Amino acid sequence: MSPLLVVAATVAAVIVVVLGLLSTVLRRRTGLAHLVAAGVLQAVLLVQFVLVVVALVGGERPPETATFLAYLVSVVLVPVAGVLWSRSEPTRWAGTVLAVAGAVVGVMVWRLLQLWEATGA
Amino acid sequence: MPDGLGAPAAGPADGSTSSGPGRVLVALYGTFALAAGARAAVQLATQFDEAPLAYLLSAFSAVVYLVATIGLARGGRSGRRTAVVACLVELAGVLVVGTLSLADRQAFPDATVWSGFGQGYGFIPLVLPVLGLLWLRQLSELDRDAATGDPAPPA
Repeated sequence: MSPLLVVAATVAAVIVVVLGLLSTVLRRRTGLAHLVAAGVLQAVLLVQFVLVVVALVGGERPPETATFLAYLVSVVLVPVAGVLWSRSEPTRWAGTVLAVAGAVVGVMVWRLLQLWEATGA
Repeated sequence: MPDGLGAPAAGPADGSTSSGPGRVLVALYGTFALAAGARAAVQLATQFDEAPLAYLLSAFSAVVYLVATIGLARGGRSGRRTAVVACLVELAGVLVVGTLSLADRQAFPDATVWSGFGQGYGFIPLVLPVLGLLWLRQLSELDRDAATGDPAPPA
C-alpha cells in the first residue's frame, strides 16, 4: 500500500469536504465541482484498491486481515454513496452530506494504512 | 451546468427527519452503526475472551446507532420517538461509559466507541446524540407551530 496514494486520497477528500461545506454555507445544492472532486477521490481509491489486491494476491497479509478487508471494500463505496445521496437532497445540506462522506474516507484511508503497515511489525 | 458549485438550494426542509440537516444526521448515524457494528462483530468473533465487557458494549452501541439511524430515516411519529429514545440511551451510554473508562481503566482494557467520551472517534459519539435531540426537538416545535397555525420560524 502506497503512503503517497494515501496522502493523495487525503488531499482529494479534504477538497470534497471543503467544497461540500462551501455549498452549504452558500445555500446551494451540489454541482459539477463536487462531482469532479468526488470522481478524483474515487479514482485514487480505486488505484489503491487494485494495488492492494495485487499485493494480497501476491501473498501479503496484514495481521488483522478481516478488519483490513472490511475497510478496503467499504472505503471505495463511501464516495459513491455520498454523491448519490447528496444529489437527491434538495436543500443546502446536500453539501454537508458529501462532506461527511469525504471526512469518513479521510479517516478510513489512514486506518487502512495503519492496518497494512502492521505487517512489518 | 453553468454553476460548478450547484444550483441554489430549496428552502428549509419540511418536517421530514431524513431530509435537510436530518440527512446529515442519518449519514453520520449510519456510518457509526456500520463502524461500531463491524468492529464489534470482529472483536466478538476473534477475541471475545480478552475483554468481554468492552466488546459487548461495542455491540450494544452498534445496535443503538442502528436503531437511531432507522428511526431518523423512517421519520413519522413512531420513527421520531424511536430516535429520541435511541439518542437518550446513546447520550447516557457515552456519559456513563466515558466516566467509567476514565475512572476504572482495568474494566476497559480495550477501547469501545464510548470510551473516554468517544475520544478515539473525535468526540463525535458525544456530540451526535446532542445534535440528534436538538434536531428532533426543533422538528416537534415546527409541528406544533404548524398545528396552531403560527408561521414557522426561519430555519
